[in-house]
Amino acid sequence: MGGTTLKPLHEVQKRTDLAARRYVILRTMSLKARTRNGQSSMAGYLFLTPWLVGLLGLTALPMIASLYLSFTNYDMINRPRWIGIGNYVKMFQDPQYLMSVKVTLTYVLLNVPIHLVVALLIALLLHKGIRGLHIYRAVYYVPSLFGGSVAISLLWKQIFGGGGLVSNLLEHLFGLQNVNLIDSPQTALYTLIILAIWQFGSPMIIFLAGLQQIPVELHEAATIDGASTSKRFFRITLPLLTPFIFFNLVMQIISSFQAFTPAYIVSDGSGGPLNSTLFYTLYLYQTGFSNFQMGYASAMAWVLLIAIAIISAFLFATSKKWVFYSE
Amino acid sequence: MKRKWGSAFVVSMAAACLVSACGQGNNSGTDNAAGGASKEKVTIRFTWWGDPVRNKVYNGVISQFEKKYPNIDVKAEPTSWADYWTKLSTQIAGGNAPDVIGMHQFYVSDYAERGALLNLEPYVKSGVINLKDFPQAVTDSGKVNGSLDMIAQGVTMSGQIYNETLFKQLGVQPPTMNWTWDDFINEATAVKKAFIAKGEGKDHWGADDESGAMEPVFEYFLRERGKDLFTTDGKLGFTKQDLEDWFAMWAKLRKDGVVPDAATEAQYTGVAPEQTLFAKGKVGITAIPANQLYLYQTAMPDAKVRLVGEPRMKNGRNGEFVEGAYLAIPKSSQHPKEAAEFINFFINDVGAGKIFKLEQGSPGSTKIDSVIKPLLSPPQQSEMDFISNRLKLASTAPKPPKGYNQIAADFTNAAQAVAYGKVSISQGAQQFFEQVNSLLGQ
Repeated sequence: MGGTTLKPLHEVQKRTDLAARRYVILRTMSLKARTRNGQSSMAGYLFLTPWLVGLLGLTALPMIASLYLSFTNYDMINRPRWIGIGNYVKMFQDPQYLMSVKVTLTYVLLNVPIHLVVALLIALLLHKGIRGLHIYRAVYYVPSLFGGSVAISLLWKQIFGGGGLVSNLLEHLFGLQNVNLIDSPQTALYTLIILAIWQFGSPMIIFLAGLQQIPVELHEAATIDGASTSKRFFRITLPLLTPFIFFNLVMQIISSFQAFTPAYIVSDGSGGPLNSTLFYTLYLYQTGFSNFQMGYASAMAWVLLIAIAIISAFLFATSKKWVFYSE
Repeated sequence: MKRKWGSAFVVSMAAACLVSACGQGNNSGTDNAAGGASKEKVTIRFTWWGDPVRNKVYNGVISQFEKKYPNIDVKAEPTSWADYWTKLSTQIAGGNAPDVIGMHQFYVSDYAERGALLNLEPYVKSGVINLKDFPQAVTDSGKVNGSLDMIAQGVTMSGQIYNETLFKQLGVQPPTMNWTWDDFINEATAVKKAFIAKGEGKDHWGADDESGAMEPVFEYFLRERGKDLFTTDGKLGFTKQDLEDWFAMWAKLRKDGVVPDAATEAQYTGVAPEQTLFAKGKVGITAIPANQLYLYQTAMPDAKVRLVGEPRMKNGRNGEFVEGAYLAIPKSSQHPKEAAEFINFFINDVGAGKIFKLEQGSPGSTKIDSVIKPLLSPPQQSEMDFISNRLKLASTAPKPPKGYNQIAADFTNAAQAVAYGKVSISQGAQQFFEQVNSLLGQ
């Protein structure tokens, strides 16, 4: 008896409650439009708030501040003093800075292509339909999960350092003595490139997803027409994969420019031996936090941002020529 | 007066809330009963550099302090040496540096000359910090441009340690306290030859390569020549020729295999004492600050480790200079008085001295010095004897200018460039002078 009378009441209450809340929200945001569209986009913004606060407070504001600081001689303790484009001019006369640009470009130019080729090759292997594919997929993905971590960088130092695994292998196989790849300026950077390539997991997964989208009929038809495996790869697989290649390429270039942790750990923050692992971000960090030149470091950060933006824009511009979207 | 206490109450309350999480006021009642000078509980933060072994010692001092000052909580924030200075500079920039910070004579200029540190003179005058038992030279070593910006926790001197057990096994005559650079070269060469005779020449050497150590070894080398690393007005105090002579000495040793190759040396630079070539018995001699003797002795239980002076120049001057670790208060501290009380306790309290012993070298206070002397283990006793022996020869060296970190890095880089054979000795010296002059010229 009571239940039947209460139920509608409850619903009425709920409805008025909701309406009231909506009203309050709309009023407080002083939104004039009462259309369904306006309401739903408002709610969307409200849901966004936590993220938006983070974006504005933790990313946008510091970015604006760093843009300002890049035109000052801020030393982290005293008030910043405006020095115009002094920091930007200084950069191109600073041999350490130029060294860091050289190291970073070498890293990007070697890491990105090798990284993508390795990821694609492994994806092709896994795509063959081996038994227990999901296990292999997981196993090959694991390095990407912790490859950028401090622990792995320390492990790398052990493996490639003097008296480490690689050093011992080279001694036993080829009789080379005291090989120390980490602490030699000629080879240190390459050990870090190997470390980066070893983390092929995430582009591999993306390539794998791309491969699985390629219609089997195309390959079947081509096979019937007598196309060889390599022809099918270059004429069917590769063109249809270009959107995925493009995505991976852009992501890899950006993350390679920003590489930091491995060099920091392997060289104890020095970028050594002999600045051979002085990545751009590492030198930026040293400049700001060890050498008290935060204004200069901010300028370096902005140059990096602009460089990455230009390269990305260039890639997007050329993408119309070589990226094929089948639909 | 009343007003002052009122605002002090509000400030300390707010800060205590911010720092220690308001909900934890569980024992404030009993503390009030115990009755400190100020009634409200204040939390001060304290940072120092150290490994877990050292942190235990510091935590011991902190708990002694909290017993004696129940109204002050000390929050320990230790960091490893490798990350200490970058973390501290960031905290100073953010205005949230701890109230008491471990300071170092090489790095102090970066903070003091930029005005980040509190002048402690007023606290000495008002008696909060008592320096009566401090020798004047030790007090003065904490001054930057005449302002007392830090107080010595301990005074130490550099030296070279050798592995006496290894020397006996190899049949090499051990070094003496006042040996010369020629002796150093002969000893290290003899050790290497003995290793070769044993068939271990491939990965065993006479001594560590110190060519990249601007402080302290190169500083000794310069002072023996009557020069200094820096002049009192913050310029380089030596010539390119001095640096070339230094590089040439090590290059010869490297060529003869007496010191390790550049890559091996780089691999073992900056590692913990137990992981060094010396602790592994792969070199016979290495340079350390005297207060680390017991760390090496602990890491090498099967060997006897002994300390001798830095090599001297024949007919040269004394290279010895006072080194040490210090405590300072940043200007941003909300509780400078409590921080000063803590520093005072650290340097003068007998209980604290008994725990701290020689952690950062001989205590600054001569009174604490005599209290702890009977409590020391044999390696610590030889540390103390060594420091007091060398102190007699020592004077203070001019403090480095700001930018020390970069200068030291440039020095190491130049030395490494020579060691790896990338540049000639004169090019390496030239490179260093160009870099530093452009830095200091700014």
